[in-house]
Amino acid sequence: MSIILELILYLAAGSFYWWWTQNLTFFGLAPNFIFAAALCAAILAGPVKAVAWGFFLGLYADMLGVSMFGGYALTYSLMAYAVYVVKRHFDMDSFFSQLVAALSLSWLCMLFYQLLSLVFSRINPTGLKIFLAEPFLNALAVPVVFQVFYWLKRRTGIL
Amino acid sequence: MSREKDAANYAVAFFAVLSVLLLLFPVSKIANTARIAVSYSLYPSLHYGARYGYFVRNVPANFLALLETDQQNRALTEKVKDLEVKLLNVSALVAENDRLTQEMRLSRSIPWAGTWARIVNKTPADWYGSFFIGKGSDDGIAVNDTVLGMQDERAGLAGRVFEVYPKFSKVMLITNSAASAVCAIGPAGLEALVEGKGTWLLKVNYVPEESALKEGEEIVTAPGGLLFPAGVPVGKVTKVFPRESFMNFITADVAPAVDVNTLKEVFVVRRNLSPEIQAAAGAER
Repeated sequence: MSIILELILYLAAGSFYWWWTQNLTFFGLAPNFIFAAALCAAILAGPVKAVAWGFFLGLYADMLGVSMFGGYALTYSLMAYAVYVVKRHFDMDSFFSQLVAALSLSWLCMLFYQLLSLVFSRINPTGLKIFLAEPFLNALAVPVVFQVFYWLKRRTGIL
Repeated sequence: MSREKDAANYAVAFFAVLSVLLLLFPVSKIANTARIAVSYSLYPSLHYGARYGYFVRNVPANFLALLETDQQNRALTEKVKDLEVKLLNVSALVAENDRLTQEMRLSRSIPWAGTWARIVNKTPADWYGSFFIGKGSDDGIAVNDTVLGMQDERAGLAGRVFEVYPKFSKVMLITNSAASAVCAIGPAGLEALVEGKGTWLLKVNYVPEESALKEGEEIVTAPGGLLFPAGVPVGKVTKVFPRESFMNFITADVAPAVDVNTLKEVFVVRRNLSPEIQAAAGAER
């Protein structure tokens, strides 16, 4: 039962991100809800499940993207592992730490994905506008997504 | 704790290796096609850029043709929209061309010297009173010049120039309630005064009771008027009113020879009236 609920949550997160980018972009900008979901799952879930969530959400992002396949999967898997390491030393449940984590990890993920793109496909996928603005939108989205995931975890036992 | 750490290490290593393998080895044709189908359906705009060539590698030709057909379809839809707008403009231009051709043909048959001018402004508050034309004193337009309109391949009286500025002029229409013209009715040439009513109709006044004024009779400007050259069609009688007991003449409604609602260009007849006649005309409405 839990795996089905997790699958539904996974698809819902990806679909919600797709719907938001299709209808609610502001000057071409939108919070990256797939990133937010991967980060929140990494905070709430155990290490193996967290890395798996990162990998599969990354695959979803790769399916939507136009460049290399597997880039986001690798990025979010490593991000989930990094969160697992960090959360042993810091309280990641607090609002402020989530903001800081969302901001810093957004930039780190973008830089890492940029590096992967240059190595594997020699293209530059991230625009400056997105690089400068999206982390702040992610920082706003992560606490909200965290509360939703936390509520689902308490109610249904997923993650 | 150590066990959890080991599990985390194994998990990240496993998924990292899997990701790198996905990055290193191109996915199969079917997988790549499915991926393109998904991403193209959800984000078609992503494929319009320079990355298109890179993106569609390792894709079956028939699927590629499908994508290209869709892109061509989108481009052609945009083109069709542009062409529809252009077509609308073209039909307006054709109609204008037909009208101008007709007017040029007519202008050869007009016995008076003058110039064509476009109507540049109609005032909603004074629709049947006046409008502005795009020529003024720089083009030789003078106050009291006669303004003709063209309708049904015939010239008709539209009004007279009332105010002149260097680049434009104001025309007082014959339908203006302050405008009037001495006119001749029918073949007999009975003279009467045609006055504007501020509506689409004119009124002919001072027609002797015993005259045989009939509906449909044509009214033209009379030689007796100073303001307008003789023989310009003014309109047709549409309704004759019986004599009122306190009046010794009859009146009638007249439909103007030109409909001001359809006028786009007018022909301004140069009158070259002497100053004395101009002054006398000033006394005449």
